[in-house]
Amino acid sequence: MIKNMVLQASLKNCFQLSCVLRTPKAGFKGTSNGGLILQSVSNDVYQNLAVEDWIHDHMDLENQQVLFLWRNSPAVVIGRHQNPWQECNLKLMRQKSIKLARRRSGGGTVYHDLGNINLTFFTTRKKYERMENLKLVVKALKALRPQLDVHVTDRYDILLDRHYKISGTAAKLGRTTAYHHCTLLCNADKFVLSSVLKSPYKGLKSNATPSVPSSVKNLFEEDPTLTCEMLLEAIAAEYAMRHQIDNHITLIHPADETVLPGINKKTKELQSWEWVYGKTPKFSISTDFKLVCKDSVLDVKVDMDVKHGRIEVCNIDVPEQWLPPPLCNELGKNLTGRKFCPKEIATLASTLLRTYPQDDELHNKWNLLCENMRLLM
Amino acid sequence: MAWGALRRVGPALAPRLWPPALRPPPGPRVPAARRLATSSLVLSARKFTDKHEWISVENGIGTVGISNFAQEALGDVVYCSLPEVGTKLNKHDEFGALESVKAASELYSPLTGEVTETNAALAENPGLVNKSCYQDGWLIKMTVENPTELDELMSEDAYEKYIKSIED
Repeated sequence: MIKNMVLQASLKNCFQLSCVLRTPKAGFKGTSNGGLILQSVSNDVYQNLAVEDWIHDHMDLENQQVLFLWRNSPAVVIGRHQNPWQECNLKLMRQKSIKLARRRSGGGTVYHDLGNINLTFFTTRKKYERMENLKLVVKALKALRPQLDVHVTDRYDILLDRHYKISGTAAKLGRTTAYHHCTLLCNADKFVLSSVLKSPYKGLKSNATPSVPSSVKNLFEEDPTLTCEMLLEAIAAEYAMRHQIDNHITLIHPADETVLPGINKKTKELQSWEWVYGKTPKFSISTDFKLVCKDSVLDVKVDMDVKHGRIEVCNIDVPEQWLPPPLCNELGKNLTGRKFCPKEIATLASTLLRTYPQDDELHNKWNLLCENMRLLM
Repeated sequence: MAWGALRRVGPALAPRLWPPALRPPPGPRVPAARRLATSSLVLSARKFTDKHEWISVENGIGTVGISNFAQEALGDVVYCSLPEVGTKLNKHDEFGALESVKAASELYSPLTGEVTETNAALAENPGLVNKSCYQDGWLIKMTVENPTELDELMSEDAYEKYIKSIED
């Protein structure tokens, strides 16, 4: 929803930005020495993460620091070395069309929606300083609403009323540049947040980095007059003051190859299954489920090893008299090498079943087993 | 890893570096860094990159890790992401990442070669990188495709001087 005036301004800004980006040594000519404030016009989590990558890889930050402001439509973002099956409810996310993204920084899992704002502070590695950045955010919040009880913890969280987490932090250190990004809850959907960040998957064993769950609160709950726009403006103003630059936000379009050459390739990589799921550290599942069929209740044991998001080993233990063992063994064998993904098992299951004669009872049992297998994914 | 002059956390102690290179094997005396006719190094002293990685080559295989300066600046390592055996790396290529309480930090290959082994102990015990960065906390082993690249790296003494200069 960009009005004509803003569009013209954004085009002008993009042109100026392309000058900055193409001649890194020159820095930003004119009044803005020392800093740049960028805001994304996109709400796509992959595009916005790609912008972070792009700035990190291409911009010269010796003479200027950059603040990047962004918001996403509903998405769960996991840390670089995390296991999405451990961290969130993938089935629920699929049902609600909530995207899953893996960022390149470390840290834990967060839920984003338009009621949450994201801030990324780019500096050289030398000037990397998370505490300073977070104190800047707190200063901005207090300037906006002096009565707010907000402070930074030594875990780099921002707490509201000493107890509720309103911001979490993560960071990445590269060859010459660094970035520190954090979230800030303004009026996100807490109900969705808590339901998607609860993993239903049992029996997982992994050395992936775990999240530290916290009680959260929206700033909106403390002060209903607050909006995301107000927070973004306040933080930008504080940043401008700190870096002695114009309080001027440059809009950036994350799909514009002329301003950000190579950006779409980065976006594709972040969207790829290989990055989102395939980067999951090796893990194992040891679980069981009960199948209720007619009058009997059956115990099924499943043991799987998953590496790079693919099934390395799969053992399915079903009572012999219930389903022909060769069929179960075929399933286990055929799952090896496949993506740990419900779609894959659905395809495989129907293919295998075609090799057996039309037998309604067998088909029903088979479908029941496969449906439960899919629930593990 | 590219550190620049990252501010160090904790007391500014001179890092205690690993003792000098092992004595060469018995036989004709060969200075440690002299290249043999086969153009593979028998044994070389530890060399350092300006990104605070070290490599020590023995019988043509280089062991790679991060320096004490780096592990101190990084803080407690909680996860090591290392490449698959067989991965081919060019000098400066990103080969993995270390995640610490401070940040996720990329690892860059000091030389051109192929990964022959990764330190399996780090999966269960990533803290070894902090506790024993020159011994048990090694990261990968790799072949040395271009031994001349080793000459471009810093000796222990040169590295010591380097970190003193960036600390100031």
